[in-house]
Amino acid sequence: MSTATTYRPATLAELRDALVDSAGERLAVAGTGSATAWGGEPVHDAVLDTTAMSGLISCNPTDLTVAVQAGMPFATLQETLAEHDQWVALDPARAGTVGGLVATADAGPVRHTFGSLRDSVIGVTVVLADATVARSGGYVIKNVAGYDLAKLFHGSLGTLGVLAEVVLRVRPRPAATATLAVPCDAATAFDLGGRLIHGSLEPVAVEWCDGTLLARFDGTSGGVEDRLRRARALAGSDATDAPADAWSVVADLVSGDDGDTVVRLGTAPDRTPELAALVAREAAAHAVDAAMTSSPFAGAHTVRLRGGSAAAHAAVVTALRTEQPAVTVCRWTDGLRAELPAWGEPPPAVAVLRAVKRAFDPDDRLGRGRFAPWF
Amino acid sequence: MSWSAELTEALGRANVITDPARLRTYECDGLTGYRVQPAMVVLPRSAAEVAAAVRVCARHGVPFVARGAGTGLSGGALPVADGIVISLQKLRRVVEVDPVNLRAVVEPGVTNLDISKAAAPYGLYYAPDPSSQQVCTIGGNVAENSGGAHCLKYGFTVNHVLAAEVVLADGTVTTLGGDSAQLPGYDLLGAFIGSEGTLGIVTQVTVRLLAKPAAVRTMVADFATVAGAGDAVTGIIAAGIVPAAVEMLDNLAIQAVAASTESVYTPDTVAALVVELDGPPDDVAEQFDEVQEICREHGCTKIMVAADAEQRRLIWTGRKAAFAAVGRISPDYFVQDGVVPRGRLAEVLGRIAAMADDAGIRVANVFHAGDGNLHPLVLYSEADGEHDRAERLSTEIAELCVELGGSLSGEHGIGADKACSMPRMFGEDDLATMLRLRTAFDPDGLCNPGKVFPTPRLCGERPGKYRPHPLEEAGVIERL
Repeated sequence: MSTATTYRPATLAELRDALVDSAGERLAVAGTGSATAWGGEPVHDAVLDTTAMSGLISCNPTDLTVAVQAGMPFATLQETLAEHDQWVALDPARAGTVGGLVATADAGPVRHTFGSLRDSVIGVTVVLADATVARSGGYVIKNVAGYDLAKLFHGSLGTLGVLAEVVLRVRPRPAATATLAVPCDAATAFDLGGRLIHGSLEPVAVEWCDGTLLARFDGTSGGVEDRLRRARALAGSDATDAPADAWSVVADLVSGDDGDTVVRLGTAPDRTPELAALVAREAAAHAVDAAMTSSPFAGAHTVRLRGGSAAAHAAVVTALRTEQPAVTVCRWTDGLRAELPAWGEPPPAVAVLRAVKRAFDPDDRLGRGRFAPWF
Repeated sequence: MSWSAELTEALGRANVITDPARLRTYECDGLTGYRVQPAMVVLPRSAAEVAAAVRVCARHGVPFVARGAGTGLSGGALPVADGIVISLQKLRRVVEVDPVNLRAVVEPGVTNLDISKAAAPYGLYYAPDPSSQQVCTIGGNVAENSGGAHCLKYGFTVNHVLAAEVVLADGTVTTLGGDSAQLPGYDLLGAFIGSEGTLGIVTQVTVRLLAKPAAVRTMVADFATVAGAGDAVTGIIAAGIVPAAVEMLDNLAIQAVAASTESVYTPDTVAALVVELDGPPDDVAEQFDEVQEICREHGCTKIMVAADAEQRRLIWTGRKAAFAAVGRISPDYFVQDGVVPRGRLAEVLGRIAAMADDAGIRVANVFHAGDGNLHPLVLYSEADGEHDRAERLSTEIAELCVELGGSLSGEHGIGADKACSMPRMFGEDDLATMLRLRTAFDPDGLCNPGKVFPTPRLCGERPGKYRPHPLEEAGVIERL
């Protein structure tokens, strides 16, 4: 595939032209390339590189909205918004593009409160496989006119069309933020997290990362200080105030290194302790070093496997799929693809997923194989 | 067997309505100007019966329209003359409240408020709160992606639903979403919510519950000008405060509300802002002081802080009953639902006032000032022959919102009401792409036909050609 053509449009018109010029070719859509390995391996004749579409379209702090070309690095967007004391409420581990984060449905610990980009995107412009340019949503944060196509593209992994422009709702940056850290097992973390929530302490993020509960509080400086004090009282003597960079351990675990396998999956919140136990048990049984980070109340988990053979990694992932079939493999250790299907049991609505794919890309030329064997 | 006989056999005679007098109850929703009598109404008692009814429709090519409480304001539940209405009023069980996992599982006929009531013993509640929450159902909320006064901070139905069991147009039952939001694949659930009943019928909903905020503070601030009130909202947002709600009422709306004996609003103020903050007590106290300071800086003439839960209730009762209260000052009215970018609020209100003057029609304004969602109430008298003029003004207001870079609808939906205005907001390719989604779910177009999308039969000559969006003309967006 190294000889594959690369299209690198810089404008919506060039993107549309690229879809016309590449008619008949199978395309892999790529931003920074940080999610190339997610799911199945797309068969492609050419790469559609979105990174030249990186401009700011409009920044409207009074309206709490911002519009960007989809290839803008997410970090650049946040820097732009920081000038206005605003942010998009998302803290992903990856340094991806805005479009890439929509297409992967990626999110970080503040998903606990703010969800993923599906909850912040208010408008999109997309170019379909047949070069149709379509918009949905708009520039206002409240809008129910027409179908919300942005939702379909959330998690689409480059298989429905190419995101060209994205409009997002933004939020003010909190005046103060503080983090509580408590070393504990997953069951204790789930219990304590529940008490923070039910106690109306409003943690903006609750994450259990590899043996430590991290809870972040945003708000006014007085309010954050007060809540941190009350949270510490609930948590007991092991609790400490953690520096802001305490959260980098989550990003490190989620990102993984060469040779690691990284998977993500979702469960009901109260399955978190059992999942943690399952990971530990399976890792031990197959002589693999496993680490897990969870946003328990969002039911979102990431597991990193390190060391051991590809077959051992495959065995652990297969065991996870018995708990929850919908496991996405984001990083594959060498040789793992030969040992493990890209996806487990399909979700109940797979027939609808297939019908949507057929309606948007009847020739299956975008990201073909990404969701194989589901479609 | 005819389809009507099949439906009667599948659901039982007691759950089928064909008597014309009884069918009349179902001929419209909250948009009472549009009325169509369906051929039959069915009242299934379970998801399986909904599926059975839909299978009969699919086999015979009979269009069907799902209906909850019928409170929708855009004609989303308007029947089809040769089709059936599937009422979900008998599916009203709260299946489960799960405080540990912070969620509830409910049937579609459960009212929005009953979810919060069921969650209340656990200190939890369901956040979206449309004004009609005492009667509107969660199934209808899912169809319309309903909002409410508190969605500036908390978002809409789509942000609070984790999973939905749905009956598809061919009668198959499936689940969209699941135990967690982190599931692979297209977000079909997100696309389904707000599709106005055109992609299927929801038969069970899993919603997220939130812990009740520890503190809630509410105030009414009076202003001598609408612009002053609007500037105060800009000031609040610029200060980095996200209120739970910021609502504005203009004088005509306040007069309507003030006619009630319980009203806490100042009858002669030009504009009133309702500002509510919620969250942890210290954060709320600090920001509540700041909001009052900002209001004073922008020329507010009086601030009434709710001293207790009862006063807070009275503030909200007035606001939420504003639509109905307008009935005290006008025999008939239309409610509009356009949205403008928040920064253009003063401009749009000025233009609406001028258009109303030109038309010789009064317009009262009640709106969500934090997110630019307007609810102009176009007041008219049917008896005095003002209907058509008022309807035209109402449509022009919605289309003005699009012209100013906004949307036709913030929360009421397009339905039958605004389908013909859709080409003002979306181009042919946009609508054709949305139709691809519809076709993927419902290839035969049996599921709530005639809604959302303009059709020649519905709109005649009206939709006309696409006019460039003002953002296109300004070079902000491009259409190829």
